[in-house]
Amino acid sequence: MITVQNLVKMYGEKAAVDDLSFEIPPGTVTGFLGPNGAGKSTTMRMLVGLESPTSGSAMVNGRSYVEHKAPMREIGVLLDAGAIHPGRSARNHLLSLAYTHTLPARRVEEMLDLVGLTDVAAERAGGFSLGMRQRLGIASALLGDPATVMLDEPVNGLDPEGIRWIRALLRGLAAEGRTVFVSSHLMSEMALTAEQLIIVGRGRLVADISVEDLVARSATSVRVRSPQASSLRPLLAGDGITVSTDLDGTLDVIGLSPEAIGTRAATAGITLYELAVQQASLEEAFMELTHDDVEYHGSSEIHPRTATLSPERKAA
Amino acid sequence: MSTTTLDTPTVSDAVANPSTAVLSATGTGLSMRGVLRSEWVKLRSVRSTTATLAAAGGALLVFGLLFAAILGGVLSAGDGDPASEFASDPTGAALSGTMLAQLIIGVLGVMIITSEYTTGQIRTTLTAVPTRVPVLVAKAAVLTAVVLPVMLASVLVTFLGGQALIGSGDLATASLGDPGVLRAVIGSAAYLTGVALMGLAVGTLLRSTAASIATLFGALFLLPGLAGIVLPSGWGDTLLSYLPSNAGTAFTSVVPAPGLLSSGVAMAVFAAWAVVPLVVAAIVQKRRSA
Repeated sequence: MITVQNLVKMYGEKAAVDDLSFEIPPGTVTGFLGPNGAGKSTTMRMLVGLESPTSGSAMVNGRSYVEHKAPMREIGVLLDAGAIHPGRSARNHLLSLAYTHTLPARRVEEMLDLVGLTDVAAERAGGFSLGMRQRLGIASALLGDPATVMLDEPVNGLDPEGIRWIRALLRGLAAEGRTVFVSSHLMSEMALTAEQLIIVGRGRLVADISVEDLVARSATSVRVRSPQASSLRPLLAGDGITVSTDLDGTLDVIGLSPEAIGTRAATAGITLYELAVQQASLEEAFMELTHDDVEYHGSSEIHPRTATLSPERKAA
Repeated sequence: MSTTTLDTPTVSDAVANPSTAVLSATGTGLSMRGVLRSEWVKLRSVRSTTATLAAAGGALLVFGLLFAAILGGVLSAGDGDPASEFASDPTGAALSGTMLAQLIIGVLGVMIITSEYTTGQIRTTLTAVPTRVPVLVAKAAVLTAVVLPVMLASVLVTFLGGQALIGSGDLATASLGDPGVLRAVIGSAAYLTGVALMGLAVGTLLRSTAASIATLFGALFLLPGLAGIVLPSGWGDTLLSYLPSNAGTAFTSVVPAPGLLSSGVAMAVFAAWAVVPLVVAAIVQKRRSA
């Protein structure tokens, strides 16, 4: 159980986390989603006491992390797989963590076995690939057999093999009834594992929504391809209707059914080559929700469609 | 036991495994004893610990025996006879390696904490022990537990070997029973331990290895010289005697130079130089973000 209430973290004048409140109930996989710089890592760091909130609270199982007698047994975290001494072996790294909580050395061997690092346990962790470090980080997160597991961008920089492993692991942890709180800036990644989503942008809560609801909410558009697109376009205009033109001249229409579009085109004698309903992907739904909250925009010239659509969609 | 292949994690297996279930019920949580054990594992599991300890012990031995051999006439010194100042101080001659050893042992003290800050390990450490203060206490404890006995053994061997070499010439030798000799021998080991602790405190405060080493050595070597130039004589000299290196000299030498504190006061002053920065470091580390 993670409870964040009116959490604020200021860096000088800038709010990294701005009045954020949410709750992660036990036994779910919750994705913590937002563009880079949205305050996800800062929130996670405050949850485990690496940073103190400017105001508000971040609690784990009803208490602040620091107040727990055995914090590693309440919540296991992997915030940065690189947070290891490169000169120390994987086994000694885990031992040093296990001993703080008087966990036996046997537990370390079990975790090494679990993440598949037993064969290289005596080697210096500095020589590990990113994927191996990620495994070592997972092993340290699970050392205390915590009911809640929190991972910050666990698939970042991993090869497909490693990504597959992390996905299976997250599903496994959830199947055991653990609470999994995992951050990502990729909607597609979350769609595969999470049931619930906490979406943030610029430190603020954008949405606290189930993946299912997000899919249902995401707008559908109609793709219209016609050699007379410029003549057709004015005929489709109206209240609550958005028409945008792609680079190749196809129209994307929101707010009109394909039947209505087809009828209007036929009445005006306009030829249609294509008329198809488009279900917006989760990625697009996410982009829409966070578009205004992206910290650093790239040039939007390549994607005029997204740029023209968002404001209307957000208002709707 | 679960057999794990790289792409099929068997969390369920491991958790369903009875031995894991029993394990998950054991462990009493965070404890000072546990943190001490943890820091001990960390200290012994990096190569630099053994390397710096061996280097510091070696410096004590090589320099001490070299000076003693020159004094005893076993070796002949080059021009200027650098050993002459020690002719009336056989203890000081044998302990002359302390000067170099403190550099090496100071680096050890700095590195056991700055290596955590520069690699990011500190975030893992402080997540495991969010109360933070026990980490620094444990680091100071294991550092002392390793440095003090190793330095004491090195100093003793160097002293005894040194006196044997000096004795082979015409000069008088010192024995551990002579006034002030045992204090100087044990004091030298204690001084080196204190320098390591100062290094730990400075390293915790500054977090960067280079800045910490520069600050520590500045305080030990440059400050006395600089202060001597800047401060007026009179109260300036009094102030100088309170600097860590001068306080150290006062209780590690049998024949102290004039103007130094009495050995008892010097020990207390030096202990304060080791302890006060550690307390400040603990408070600062507890408060700042990691």
